[in-house]
Amino acid sequence: MQAVLTVARGVWGCRRPGLLGARRARGELRALLTSSLPHPSRSSRSAGLGRGVHAGVRRLQELAEKGAESLSGTELSPLILQRNSMRWDGKTYEEIPIAHIKATYNNTHIQVVSFDNRPFARTSCGTEGFQNAKKATAIAAQTAGIAAAAKARGKGVLHVRVMVKGLGPGRKAAIKGLTMGGLEVISITDNTPVPHNGCRPRKARRM
Amino acid sequence: MANHLRFIGRTVMVQNGNVDAAYGALSRILSQDGIIESVKRRRYYEKPCRKRQRLAYEACRRVYNTEMARKISFLSRKSRTDPWLGC
Repeated sequence: MQAVLTVARGVWGCRRPGLLGARRARGELRALLTSSLPHPSRSSRSAGLGRGVHAGVRRLQELAEKGAESLSGTELSPLILQRNSMRWDGKTYEEIPIAHIKATYNNTHIQVVSFDNRPFARTSCGTEGFQNAKKATAIAAQTAGIAAAAKARGKGVLHVRVMVKGLGPGRKAAIKGLTMGGLEVISITDNTPVPHNGCRPRKARRM
Repeated sequence: MANHLRFIGRTVMVQNGNVDAAYGALSRILSQDGIIESVKRRRYYEKPCRKRQRLAYEACRRVYNTEMARKISFLSRKSRTDPWLGC
């Protein structure tokens, strides 16, 4: 088995994986690995392949089935179905203000809006006095979060549901800043735009 | 996401004020569904030739890893009761 592992590590060690030649590689791998295996079974081979696709479908099925079952805290379904009966300061979930956090790679913007799109507070790393590269840090995002929370508290906002957009350095730190500034986060939604092959992004760097 | 109902997909409710656990659960769900890696990949354009190479590489890798895991779990079935106990 050691020999197989070292051969395989040499195989995957090349930096341009496409040079391998997929079909030939697959044939070689099968020959390497099935030389000493008994009864090749179909089920175990396809289990790992289908996992990523079926995870989302299974979650939707769980949503339909397990309504009142008390699952662990990481399961979405029971809390989201109970959400209609939960109240925060007498408000339903749909009436609670929203904090939009746009976490780009160079900056982080935070805007707190009411449910009918009346603005409460708008801050970003730039409005907090950071400049250029310092805006693209988690600390700057946290300060912006604290400032936005303070402004929103001044206008009477207590609970907030967060919508995060983008994968930047300030993604987690901004939420933490909102909590440190005194707002209570009741839910986190990810609103990162994922196009179904829409606009063509810019070209790859370092060609 | 704007065309779907807001606050239903990709949403995690915060339990007992534990925002970090909720964020961790959200990231785990997103990475398991492949959203985070697809967003990272779409930051720069991936030419069709590079995409084909990457898909072939991932397919080979997947086959190899599942077969190797099967082999290792078969060969490491050593925690059986000793059939020759007492000899």
